[in-house]
Amino acid sequence: MIEIILIALAPIIGGLIYGLERVVRARMQNRKGPPILQPFYDMLKLIDKQAFIVNPYHSILGIMHFVTLWVVVAFVILGQNLLYVVFLHLLSALFLIIAGFSVKSIYSHIGANRELQAMIAYEPILIMTAVGFYMINGSFDISIIRESSPLLLSLPLVFLAFLMIIPIKLKKSPFDATEAHQEIVGGVEIEYSGIFFEFLYMSKWLEYVFIYLLLILFAGNSQILGAVLSVGVFLLVNLVDNSTARIKMKHLIKIVLGIGLTLSMINLIGLSYV
Amino acid sequence: MTTYSILIIAPLFFALAVLIGGLRVRNILTVVFVLVLAGASLINIFVETSTLQTSLSHSFHNLFILLDSLVLIYFLWQGIIKKHNFVTFFALLQMMLYAAVVFFSPSTTSSDILIDNISSIMYLVINIVGGTIIVYALGYIESEKFSRFKKNGFIALLFFFLSVMNFIVSTNNIEIFFLLFELTTLCSYILIAYRGDEISNENALKALWMNQIGGLAILIALIVSITQYDTVYFDMLISSINELYLLPIVFLAIAAFVKGASIPFDKWLLGAMVAPTPVSAILHSATMVKIAPYLMLKLAPAMSGFVSVTITLIGTFVFFSASLLALSKDYFKEILGLSTIALLALMMALAAIGTDEAITACLVLIVFHSISKALLFLQAGILEKSFNLKYVNDINGLINHSPLVVFFIVVGFASLTLPPFGAFVAKFMAIESIANEISNNPLYALALIFIALGSVFLTLLYFKVLTKLLAKDVSQEKEVHVHIPKLFTIPSFILLFLLIIGIYVIFEKEFLSSVQIFVPMILISVVPLLFATLLFKKAHRVKEYYCGEKEEVQLNMYYFDIPRNYKKVITAVAIVLIFILILGAML
Repeated sequence: MIEIILIALAPIIGGLIYGLERVVRARMQNRKGPPILQPFYDMLKLIDKQAFIVNPYHSILGIMHFVTLWVVVAFVILGQNLLYVVFLHLLSALFLIIAGFSVKSIYSHIGANRELQAMIAYEPILIMTAVGFYMINGSFDISIIRESSPLLLSLPLVFLAFLMIIPIKLKKSPFDATEAHQEIVGGVEIEYSGIFFEFLYMSKWLEYVFIYLLLILFAGNSQILGAVLSVGVFLLVNLVDNSTARIKMKHLIKIVLGIGLTLSMINLIGLSYV
Repeated sequence: MTTYSILIIAPLFFALAVLIGGLRVRNILTVVFVLVLAGASLINIFVETSTLQTSLSHSFHNLFILLDSLVLIYFLWQGIIKKHNFVTFFALLQMMLYAAVVFFSPSTTSSDILIDNISSIMYLVINIVGGTIIVYALGYIESEKFSRFKKNGFIALLFFFLSVMNFIVSTNNIEIFFLLFELTTLCSYILIAYRGDEISNENALKALWMNQIGGLAILIALIVSITQYDTVYFDMLISSINELYLLPIVFLAIAAFVKGASIPFDKWLLGAMVAPTPVSAILHSATMVKIAPYLMLKLAPAMSGFVSVTITLIGTFVFFSASLLALSKDYFKEILGLSTIALLALMMALAAIGTDEAITACLVLIVFHSISKALLFLQAGILEKSFNLKYVNDINGLINHSPLVVFFIVVGFASLTLPPFGAFVAKFMAIESIANEISNNPLYALALIFIALGSVFLTLLYFKVLTKLLAKDVSQEKEVHVHIPKLFTIPSFILLFLLIIGIYVIFEKEFLSSVQIFVPMILISVVPLLFATLLFKKAHRVKEYYCGEKEEVQLNMYYFDIPRNYKKVITAVAIVLIFILILGAML
């Protein structure tokens, strides 16, 4: 029962995290920042706006991106197979990418292409993470991973690799070239407006829920560690976001894959000797 | 008469029957023949569930030796008249070794024919997917400017190819296997050279000499097997194999690498694109290259330790490299070709791991790859014939005038990457089976990285190609209506149907849970439905936002510049790995 409530509330929880984040980030910059509920005020305003669309396919694919992401989050909450979840998440990303390519807009195309490239960076790391969990528990099932003892101790390097992909998924500096507001005007988002943009906006919130749900898997059955991890990483990601500049896609891929894959490979090989 | 003999012998008669007769008769006959073959392969898998073994009479063996000599003489003759030194050299070398093999061939016998589950599955792939491509070829070949006899010959040759393929997956005798291996080389040689122009001849000769290396590897394996194990039969070789002396297995594996166009032997398959598209379709999906994973599956029980790890590493490395190299290509068929090379290498890697799960993954991948690739190549053919398009970048606004073709291509690509399709299941099981092995040997961690990277590169590749297909041309006001012949679309629908059946099989065999199958299936199938129904009539239509720029833009597909020396490095690494494999097995 609690799972169903959690699934239903997932976008709202994501929205709250997003709102909180804006406050925390503002405080780090010595600003006051918007109220925590600001994302929801934005939402109400967006719903009220007149609908403009470029073509129906584009809008439908945007909505499908949101729906699929919600399903992904539901699968995680229900404790499904982690590797499967990683690939289902790929489907949601691909909906957005196809949407980006379905309009004849430069910024949208560049954005969609960057999303594709970002996939090269985070997808292998997600797979390696899943395999790391598998090697310890002998199963990809999230429900089983949640019941094991804290995994952070046996997968420290995989954890570091996973940390590196969080900014990519959450569109945070230095790895936010996929969205890059000042440069490609939001990339894929640019051609969406009004209610249709709202779906994209909510997808972003779901992405938060997805990433933090994966993050607390590293804590295994320890809820305290889970809480410490999520708060710590939340602060860390925002600190890094505030203090770094955006880097190019090329460098993003090289850095994340170069360091992330090496770290996780060392970790996995290490596991095989223990 | 048992079904296997029907599957082997009937296509030979079919080939003769379609040679004569006019267009209409030939078309009707072909469709009937394809139905017969498909039916026979289905009967085989449902009725004859037990393993079947028989031997062929002595006169058959003599006939095979005669045929083999003729094929080798033909190769030599082609080498001499086309003045191609490699071909001549390899033909001569093969003749000498073959003579030795025939001379020293031991008298111990086992069954010549051995049909197990793997053979039955291969029959399905060969006859149903291959047959569908033949039906497609009926329409395709009519649009070419050749004489009636040459056109009929094309169809006849495809039937002959199916016969050879059906035989090669039924045999247990390595000598017969060698003959059939050479016959597939011969078929591909003739098919690639079919157009008869300069490039075709050149590429056909390339395919010939490269595949002859494979033949050579089998002969070496035979000689080693005769001297060390005193047998020319797969089952005897595998059951009596000594873990310290795996050389025959290694050479057979190299033959598989050649047939599977694995880097460094990749050039021949890419060169095969000059042939009419049904040839590419049939080479890439149902026949020829599928010998490679089949052979690996056959050898899998005999592989152990070093050989198994090294072949897995080579396979996964090629999977990764071929996917990477494909990123810089623009020619649609070349993109498909490189992705075939990549996936074949993955199949071979999986077979070499040899655990039950890996072998199932390999079989699933063989079946679904052939369906998806056939579907994609058929679309490549339609693009060429109906739209005169070869390069992805020339495709503009295809979705405006032919949404059906776009739909098939999207399905083809999606079925290679996404749940709940078979290729996805195979990838899923591949990762799981490799993850199981890491604790035995840390080198598998490297293989895992290759798989993770390779699969994401392939996804990137497929969806980058979609850029050009999906971009709607808004400025084009009038509807361009291009007529696509029924013989082109019906086979595509059949393949689509096969993909859906495949999902059902996955459900039946419980490779995925029902939630894991139905949720993505609903998500994917709801999209076209929404496209058709949701039009957002009330919403205002706007043009794209150009940030104040007035110029209209022409958007092209993205390229990823892969430096030239990468290709050299990759080839060098692959060659070194193969040498390590041979040396390691010798020591």
